[in-house]
Amino acid sequence: MTLFWKWAIGVFLVLLLVVFVLLCKMAGSPKDAYGMLRYALPHMHRGTLKVGDDAPDARLLALDGANHFHIRERTGARPLVVIFGSYT
Amino acid sequence: MVQIYNDYKDQADFLTVYVREAHPTDEWQMKSNVKDDVCYAQPKTLAQRVAIANDFIKRFNYPIAFGIDDIDNAANDAYSAWPERFYIIDESGRIAYRGGMGPFHYNPDEVRAWLAARYGAVRHDAPTPGSAAPAASLSSPK
Repeated sequence: MTLFWKWAIGVFLVLLLVVFVLLCKMAGSPKDAYGMLRYALPHMHRGTLKVGDDAPDARLLALDGANHFHIRERTGARPLVVIFGSYT
Repeated sequence: MVQIYNDYKDQADFLTVYVREAHPTDEWQMKSNVKDDVCYAQPKTLAQRVAIANDFIKRFNYPIAFGIDDIDNAANDAYSAWPERFYIIDESGRIAYRGGMGPFHYNPDEVRAWLAARYGAVRHDAPTPGSAAPAASLSSPK
């Protein structure tokens, strides 16, 4: 292995370490950094919807676990504020 | 968010859509989840989502209309909603406001500003009981 490649690999590993340390600092801990990379980033999407687009429809289940309704059924009369989220 | 709902529920409709969990025990669980006793595995069935959603409603006496995304995550995918996000759909069915992707750009104040611009600001002299509203996730008071 030439001196160049030894340096290139060394610099790459140092950069990798710096990125990981920054991620740990941002996420809170190495475990959180791993969780963010493994579970969060694959599901986070900016999306392509923009103001003025037709609002997509989707079928939702009511809390009774039996009845369904559509998001667009709730639109029309007044503005609809839609809050997406989960418990955890 | 509940405070915004209380302030504008006579002018606008509100709908909460429960999507896949952000910090389940079998994925990226956070210390705050344990501290707050909010420990659930990622639901694999719609029945599990219904059970968690009902736990949430009961625990916080949550007043806003609620719908649960299908297990194929159709609503989440259509709106790029995960982990949390706001939208406002106007009377013509078009997107009038698109909130940023949570948690870093999830901003209830922008929703309030949109409603205030249209219906007038609602001012509160002091925080009112019950204003602790689910925000960063549905469960975290803000």
